[in-house]
Amino acid sequence: MTDATSNILDEATPEHRRGSGLMRLALSNEFGLALLIALAFGIFAMTLPGFTSPFSLFTIGRQIGIDTMIGLAMMAVIVTGGLDLSVGAIGVCAAMVFGYLAQIAGVPLPLAIPLAIAFGSVLGFINGYVVVRSGVHSFIITLASMSIFFGIMIFLTQAQSFNALPLAVPAMGKLRVGGPISILLIITLVVCAALSIFYRYTTLGRQMLAAGANARAAELSGIRTGRIIIACHMLTGGLAALAGLMLTARTGAAVPSMAGHLGQDWLLPAFLAPVLGGTLLSGGRVSVIGTLLGAAFVTIMTSGLLLMRVGEFWILACLGLMLLLAVLADRLRHQVLRARGMI
Amino acid sequence: MALSFTRIFDNDWVGPGLVSLAAIIGISIFQPSFLSPFNIFVLLSAIAVNMVIALGQLVIIGIGQMNLALGAFGGLVAISFVAVMELYGVPPFVAVIIGFAIGTLAGGASGFVIARTGISAFIITLAGLQIFKGINLGITEAQPFYGVPQSVKDFGNLSMLGPIPWLVLPMLIASIGMWYLFTRLRIGRYILAIGGNRTAAELSGINVTATVIWAHAISGLLAATAGMMLVARLQIGQPTIGDDWLISSFAAPVIGGAVLAGGHVSVAGTFFGVVIIAIITQALVLFAIDPFVVQIVLGGLILWAVGINRLRELRVAKLNERA
Repeated sequence: MTDATSNILDEATPEHRRGSGLMRLALSNEFGLALLIALAFGIFAMTLPGFTSPFSLFTIGRQIGIDTMIGLAMMAVIVTGGLDLSVGAIGVCAAMVFGYLAQIAGVPLPLAIPLAIAFGSVLGFINGYVVVRSGVHSFIITLASMSIFFGIMIFLTQAQSFNALPLAVPAMGKLRVGGPISILLIITLVVCAALSIFYRYTTLGRQMLAAGANARAAELSGIRTGRIIIACHMLTGGLAALAGLMLTARTGAAVPSMAGHLGQDWLLPAFLAPVLGGTLLSGGRVSVIGTLLGAAFVTIMTSGLLLMRVGEFWILACLGLMLLLAVLADRLRHQVLRARGMI
Repeated sequence: MALSFTRIFDNDWVGPGLVSLAAIIGISIFQPSFLSPFNIFVLLSAIAVNMVIALGQLVIIGIGQMNLALGAFGGLVAISFVAVMELYGVPPFVAVIIGFAIGTLAGGASGFVIARTGISAFIITLAGLQIFKGINLGITEAQPFYGVPQSVKDFGNLSMLGPIPWLVLPMLIASIGMWYLFTRLRIGRYILAIGGNRTAAELSGINVTATVIWAHAISGLLAATAGMMLVARLQIGQPTIGDDWLISSFAAPVIGGAVLAGGHVSVAGTFFGVVIIAIITQALVLFAIDPFVVQIVLGGLILWAVGINRLRELRVAKLNERA
């Protein structure tokens, strides 16, 4: 398992170590990102009329909420040094289950929402169980499961949407709290806070980080890494389901194609936010705030470029370029840190 | 005698080959039209294109990486191929060369970034996927190009000999070329050596950077070939070409016994992997089963193949222990 992991995801970045004080903060991913966000926001706000209108701020905030949730879903499994290509498929599957429960079966929303999230976790459990038991890298397992999950969903729904959901669902997507702030962004912030506490203060969270940083050492110190990896996949599934539900609220309907063919459209936001935020692909380190900032940066850039009438297809290319620049900048940052003897 | 018999079964292509044969026999008993010349023609056309796609992924699997941008390369080349013919009146022969050049350069560029920075191929090719797909859609605005010359359309839809389509020709060239590359050429052995153990390869004097760039350039070249073959077959320059290559490009090599960590690939095994996928897809159509089921079956096939490969690995490990 570890051999395959290091071979397939050959991430040469060394582990972060404690450097000293202010310089470390100034060179941290989060600080750089916050600076970039402030810069981009300032430039767009000054040059583009309408960028800071309440409606624009509302849609930007809502998009940040959804993209962050997608990023967090991937982050939860990147912790183990693995990945989950099926996040999009899980998100859509959970959204469709929710659509069925709420629209056809008439299950009340307070029950349908947790059921859909639990369903996402079950799909995550299947991924994790197969990965752990087979010892095959999660890339290929989740490549297969994304095809299977999506295939079963599209077969059962016959590619039909659930578009007569209870009115509370689209209302949720439009709900504003405290001026232009979307309720979806609030939900995401709450989840971010919970995850930060989870990784820092709970045994399970710390075991996840330990298993990701060095599986053998974790195993030797009594952590049952297999179970931990399964738990990571379940967390990913649950978060992906939540992202799917949020997207459903925004659209006002559960649409099978809302994450593209096989859910592939989620892959870029899913990796972009954590990687921008400084989560190591080799596992063992997460940054919940970084993921939030990463998603915020991407969303602000996208909104600004759209307002500048850059075609949405070219924005797709820009986002790809941004991912490339992000990893290159990260590499450069490491070299600077190493040259100054900070790592 | 018994020893050589088990040896034959240790070949990567024998298992998938037998499954292909059994599937052909089984399906043609229930559905004799399966072996009609027309159906064979359709089947071979699909196999030809998918084999070239699979080879494009196989060379990257060999080096122990993955190429998520394969379909994006193919799509970009496909529309560029038609665009230069339609907009600038470039003759097809020259357009093909331009297509090869774009694919090779795109692959080489992503190989260069991977090799020089040491960042995981997954992330670089994910970025590449978005960049090349974005350029594709930016140029076409998601509208197809229709100006495909008759000669190109004929190449994709006429038969070379009986039920054998012309499209089989580029597949044969690519397959034999890749087989030759992996078994006879130095670059092929370097690729497998790096896939097997990168550090050992580096220490024994192999130029890892150059080899990685080569592997990705070859992958881009094969993606370009497949993209242009699809243009010939579909008779238009569809911007969506390449969108659905990801799963099948991994499924066929894995069914063919390729080790995903790198270092071990089989061109013949990959061929039978492609054949199995094509037969199953066709059978679903013939038996009028919901086409959506194809996705489920493809995913299931990957898991099945991974399981078989894993069992074989364990058995080999056990045999080595005993010896």
